[in-house]
Amino acid sequence: MLLTGVITMGLMIDGAPDGAALDPAPDDGAARWRRAAEFFDAWRDGESRAMDDLVRLMTPVLWHVVRAYGLDRTLAEDVVQTTWLQLVRGHRSISDPKAVSAWLTTTARREAWRAGKAQNRVDTTESDALDALLPTQQSAEHHATVGDEKRRLWAAVHLLADRCQRLLRVIAFEERPDYARLAADLAMPVGSIGPTRQRCLAKLRELLDAPTPRTEGSS
Amino acid sequence: MSENDRANGGDNHEDAELFAQLRSLWRDVDPMPAALIDRMIAAVAAEGLSEEYALLTLIEEPLGAVRGDADALTLQFSDGTTSILLHVTRTASGAHRVDGWVDSISGAIELAQGESIRTTTANDTGRFLFDDVPDGLTRVRLSATVGDQERTLSTPQFEL
Repeated sequence: MLLTGVITMGLMIDGAPDGAALDPAPDDGAARWRRAAEFFDAWRDGESRAMDDLVRLMTPVLWHVVRAYGLDRTLAEDVVQTTWLQLVRGHRSISDPKAVSAWLTTTARREAWRAGKAQNRVDTTESDALDALLPTQQSAEHHATVGDEKRRLWAAVHLLADRCQRLLRVIAFEERPDYARLAADLAMPVGSIGPTRQRCLAKLRELLDAPTPRTEGSS
Repeated sequence: MSENDRANGGDNHEDAELFAQLRSLWRDVDPMPAALIDRMIAAVAAEGLSEEYALLTLIEEPLGAVRGDADALTLQFSDGTTSILLHVTRTASGAHRVDGWVDSISGAIELAQGESIRTTTANDTGRFLFDDVPDGLTRVRLSATVGDQERTLSTPQFEL
């Protein structure tokens, strides 16, 4: 069971080229939101290819937001697709093009939450398989590409509570979260999202600063 | 940045840096499937067509086989209910003249080439004309009324 997880994840990481490399704006949230609005606007003006650009731009974000909810990869792909189809069907409800990114990520979170609840997968799926990826288990190739610092970060992230992991992943990729909606989704009071975010970050830094990375005891 | 800003979710430089590292980490350990974007583009395209445009299909290209000089081209599209015939000729200026005919009552008829969209309407007998059309990938869209139902139809793209 664990072994299967290791092999599968190993192939995924070392095998086919990473689709995220296609992301045209991997680390500039504001630029991404701006371009999304431009593409969406152009699409609604009849430029059909602008939708392809919007899909290229935002699919990587949606992938990580949805995966933050613990859905398996196949189900996560379904949720990302549902999100895009909802945009095509429901785009008329978006009056301001600048809102399209928020609309997409909010829809993705809602759908991920719903899918996870329906399958009772949130908080449980794959955590074992992912834990198996912790530093000592990795293939030579992965070892070489990921590097020490990243493996320490990965180990630290896995020592965080599930809720913290999810919140940080959503915030990291969304880069402009709607705290009210996020609070509802994560069953937290709105006012506690900011503090929770800070607590999660502080905890992560504490784990990173710890002299000996602990890879056990994450359950 | 004050403590209060931070408590409300404001970002400082160190936080932004850590979030960038986290993004990089998750991209590595849980990469998006390489084919996901292409699959989503295909799904959206299919949905867009079924939602907004019934796709007309090419029925025949009667002169296609014999037009050695590419001076004239006749294309016929249909979805089984509505048919549209396009006769394309080269003008003296080197552009194209598109004479069209549609067998349903139609509203605006669009000729789209990339971002450029021209609109006309058909006359009583269903004839319409686009003159001075440049080379390029082209599609024609129209809304047709069949019975009491109005539908939006589109040809696939074709090369002029």
